[in-house]
Amino acid sequence: MNASSSARPGRIAPSAAGYLMLLPALAVIVLLVIVPMLVIARDSFAISDPLGGNLGGFTLANYEKLIDPVYLKTLGYSLGMALLNAVVCTVVGYIVAYYIATRRASLQPVLLVLVIIPFLTDFLVRTFAWITLLGSGGPFISLLRALGVDAQSLVPSQLAVTLSLLYAFLPVAVFPIYAAMRSIDPSLKEAAADLGAGWWQTHARIFVPLSASGLASSVMLTFVPTLGVFVIPVLLGGGKDPLVGNLIVTLFTEFRNEPLGAALSMVVLILMLASVAGAGLLLRNGARRNRSLGKDA
Amino acid sequence: MDRLTSWIARAVFLFLYLPIAALIVYSFNSSEVSYRFDGFTFRWYAELFADRMLLEALRTSAVVGVIAALVATVIGFLTAFALVRFRVKGRAFFVGAILIPLIVPEIVLGVSLLTVFSTAGIPTGLLTLVLGHVVITLPLATLVLMGAMSSLDPSLTEAATDLGASPWVTFRRVLFPLLRPSILAAFLLSFTTSFSNIVISTFTAGVGTTTLPLRIYSTLRTGLTPELNALGTLLVVATLGVILAVGVSQMRRILAGPTTTP
Repeated sequence: MNASSSARPGRIAPSAAGYLMLLPALAVIVLLVIVPMLVIARDSFAISDPLGGNLGGFTLANYEKLIDPVYLKTLGYSLGMALLNAVVCTVVGYIVAYYIATRRASLQPVLLVLVIIPFLTDFLVRTFAWITLLGSGGPFISLLRALGVDAQSLVPSQLAVTLSLLYAFLPVAVFPIYAAMRSIDPSLKEAAADLGAGWWQTHARIFVPLSASGLASSVMLTFVPTLGVFVIPVLLGGGKDPLVGNLIVTLFTEFRNEPLGAALSMVVLILMLASVAGAGLLLRNGARRNRSLGKDA
Repeated sequence: MDRLTSWIARAVFLFLYLPIAALIVYSFNSSEVSYRFDGFTFRWYAELFADRMLLEALRTSAVVGVIAALVATVIGFLTAFALVRFRVKGRAFFVGAILIPLIVPEIVLGVSLLTVFSTAGIPTGLLTLVLGHVVITLPLATLVLMGAMSSLDPSLTEAATDLGASPWVTFRRVLFPLLRPSILAAFLLSFTTSFSNIVISTFTAGVGTTTLPLRIYSTLRTGLTPELNALGTLLVVATLGVILAVGVSQMRRILAGPTTTP
């Protein structure tokens, strides 16, 4: 009757129909992702005229321009901020995920929804809510004044940028860590306690290695997007300390220096690949430790 | 130590809601300069609905969001169906390819789209916005639907086929009703993602197709107005609506993987 029950249950034998159905998605990925990225990869080596126009040809001048201290400073600052944000989000995300995963089963979905609500709320709304909270005359400043501290406004400030970056990416960190933690057998914790392991040992030897996949996703999902953020430095940092994202937007929309912008985009892309590789490495190490954990037990 | 981390976690939940609470409270504050809480007013909501440019941007975002989400859901459905129900060669390759937009920084996707559109002579506008938003929503819709399809018992559609139902009838009478909640979830998540996107829109919007986030951003560069607090409050309420429509258990499965504990 039907060939579906042959080799793998539920899977219909390969046919033209299956590949035909993949065609639209493949067209989107090839035409709107792969080809455009190849075009900017090529543009990053193009010669630009004095006005920033694309003259074609081949040069390394765009990449050489990026070695300028102005760009290096922004790149260094962005990497630092992205790394800081990824680490803070992952550590705080770990604490929150552990808290949720160790609550009773009926409470867990409720707590998770409490993380989902800010996550799905409009990104810009989440950002300007911090201006309301920390800005002049806002509740935070009023509180400080009531306590006798003479404060004007915390916007713009480095603190506001750091807090709103954490706020923007924390939920993204919680989900994968929680997903990994949910599959950890709770009896492992009891066993560790019975064997005399303290809090620190229980986490270092059991929970952290066993949720390594979630932690790696968390780092990756917070590090890369932070590099591309351009709204937060402008709105909460006053635009004084731009991130790479700000530079790319400025190069493309204001300076119209396409080749230079393309070169900077390639640098971000390379950083992305490096972080994916880093996360992969982290995972491999995690897996190795899990195996040795299995041997011990 | 467990007690300490519990307290930190509780403080984090407070941290998650402080800005939202401030937003809501100040949207009803009658004081012009939002200096201190002066009294209750609906004035900012009234001004919001009188703001022509904001409403125009809202319309653009809604149109782009609906079209992009529809396209992403339909293509995502086909993709998920092909990957879950067919023994496709190079399955891992296809899955990887579809996930590329989730890993590549959005800003790189945005600038490359802009470059290609301008090279190809396609003017930025509604079409380019929709195309850009399809790129970032397609992986989400596909993942949601793949998850739903793999947890579906394949014998249900097999039974329909064995009983003589045509592929179309099988889809309409069996597959679609069973997957309706997930299709709705894929659509709503895609819509929400498109609606609040600013990075891709910065590069793909044209004159006259300013989306709501772009409009809010340009307003914010000159300063925060109480009207924006009112808009933010409405968007938070809309978010609650989306979560209720998708359903808590389904949302949990999408974001935190399939349930392993009862």
